[in-house]
Amino acid sequence: MALINTGYLEYEELSQIQKLPSDERYAKGPVAVIECVQEIPCNPCEAACRFGAIHIGDPITNLPTCSHDKCTGCGVCVSKCPGLAIFIVNKAYSENTATVAFPYEYMPTPEKGMEVTAVNRKGEEVCGAKVVNVMNPAAFDHTPVVTVEIPKEYADEVRSIKRL
Amino acid sequence: MAEYFSDDMIVCRCEEVTVAEIKEAIRQGAKDVVGVKRRVRAGMGLCQGRTCEKMVQQILAQELGAKPWEVGTSSARPPIRPISFGDLANGVVE
Amino acid sequence: MLERDVLVVGAGPAGLAASIEAAKAGADVLLVDLNMKPGGQLFKQIHKFFGSSAHRSGTRGFDIGKMLLDEAEKAGVEIWLQSTVIGAFPGNLIAIEKGIDGGEKEVITLKSKKVIIATGASENVVRFKGWTTPGVMGAGAAQTMINVNHVKPGNKIVMVGSGNVGLIVSYQLMQAGCDVVALIEAAPKIGGYAVHAAKIRRAGVPIYTKHTVVEAIPGEDGTVCKVVIAEVDDKFQPIPGTEKEIEADTVTIGAGLKPATDMVKLEKCRLTFNGPFGGFIPLHNDKMETSKKGVYVAGDATGVEEANTALEEGRIAGISAVESLGLIEPKEAEKMRIEIWKRLEALRMGPFGERRQIEKNNILAEYEEKVVAAVEMD
Repeated sequence: MALINTGYLEYEELSQIQKLPSDERYAKGPVAVIECVQEIPCNPCEAACRFGAIHIGDPITNLPTCSHDKCTGCGVCVSKCPGLAIFIVNKAYSENTATVAFPYEYMPTPEKGMEVTAVNRKGEEVCGAKVVNVMNPAAFDHTPVVTVEIPKEYADEVRSIKRL
Repeated sequence: MAEYFSDDMIVCRCEEVTVAEIKEAIRQGAKDVVGVKRRVRAGMGLCQGRTCEKMVQQILAQELGAKPWEVGTSSARPPIRPISFGDLANGVVE
Repeated sequence: MLERDVLVVGAGPAGLAASIEAAKAGADVLLVDLNMKPGGQLFKQIHKFFGSSAHRSGTRGFDIGKMLLDEAEKAGVEIWLQSTVIGAFPGNLIAIEKGIDGGEKEVITLKSKKVIIATGASENVVRFKGWTTPGVMGAGAAQTMINVNHVKPGNKIVMVGSGNVGLIVSYQLMQAGCDVVALIEAAPKIGGYAVHAAKIRRAGVPIYTKHTVVEAIPGEDGTVCKVVIAEVDDKFQPIPGTEKEIEADTVTIGAGLKPATDMVKLEKCRLTFNGPFGGFIPLHNDKMETSKKGVYVAGDATGVEEANTALEEGRIAGISAVESLGLIEPKEAEKMRIEIWKRLEALRMGPFGERRQIEKNNILAEYEEKVVAAVEMD
């Protein structure tokens, strides 16, 4: 597995470990993409989802599974995952663009409307991006969830932005 | 590449003991951490071996071809932390 | 003579949990710690913890520390800070150098019926040319600088070690505003959780597996200005000709921890060697009692793990100590212990945990074999 040698997975490798949303589900709007791939003792995402879409069960080392039909793409789990491994992808944002929401714990926190540089899982610059939403309520406990708009073809690739 | 691991490298910072001195202690018969400590003072300084003990164990294991558990660990006796003579001289509050 | 039911040494997660359990049962508990604040490493942990809801997972480490301190206060635990055990003597006597106001110290002898040792662990060092150059430090030390003292150790950091400490501290150094210019790992694989590695990769940190640091080069001011790394062969020896120079002002070493056993040795508890747990550790049973009756251990001092396991072991030690004082019924204590061991088992599962479960079982078995059998022979 590339992950344990390099620290990141390509989307195809990820899809062999985690059940990812189908093309039909992606077409319906925002949905959680869980990039948690190792059996570690951790389950806050399960309790975080009030739609009951995320399941871990017993033992807590089980990988989380997401019922994508129940997921509304609200983004609460994104802020709760201690591994910062959940993203919300919306491939139906507009005709040519998609949005990716990710946890961002660096200072300063981006602001809505900012032009930023989107990066992939390796930290490589992918494309320009526009910050369209920043959620940072007290319940997120200092893990802001930032949503950026990017060209649709990069929706499976972009996972963060270059630090400001 | 060998120059990166020369024997004049310091192992015990508190007492400034080098790899060469530890190897010499082993040649003189030191078989464990306590033996090295008695001969060259590695682990006898301010930090009481907290930094260097593992490195001393590695050098012992390597030189003697021993397993890590065979080269032992340092013993502990009061006072286990540095304490000023003043505090000791002020006597013990009971 | 000052007397207490239970002395707990070390106010990290294990020591705090032990103190809380013992005090809740009605014991007079004294908790001593050499630092200026209680909490051990918890107040350095600014990230959200893994674990189950039972372990308040998803909560940041320092918030867990605050909750524990509140609980300890409510339970009536007495805490001495900047205080160190310096000796243990026959007759349950412990000498403590107590920190008093204005930085003064006095030596106090305490008679304690039970002793719980939760002294934690200390950082391992890696030896390379120039390892004593200013700018080379432990990853834990760097974490204390940024998260407790709010001082950056440097601007361009080379992190050595890809265990969870190396990965998490790299992330936190970037949160503090430093650049992590390389993460070096001698093994062919990343040691810590993939999700921790993934978040520093996203931030652009290059990870060099099968590499080692061979030299830290000081600049004109005597502090680190360049770091030389090299690829290693299967025996972890640097391969000549593969050296690479990296501009950096700080080298942080996350090469694992070793249990702090001075106090255990002082009490003459029987030790065993356990590689995966970090070296020499005290033998103990499922009550967390050592080979010396009335002396208990918990947390990293019994083998390096993490905060959640330390908390749970601390609880067991606290419960067992007050059980032996007659403050709770053996049946009740046993019931509580069984519940906690179940939670511990859940924490010691999966690819990162199962090895520790096996080693823990070995330690418990070795205790039966060497300590219990020896007592029966007497």
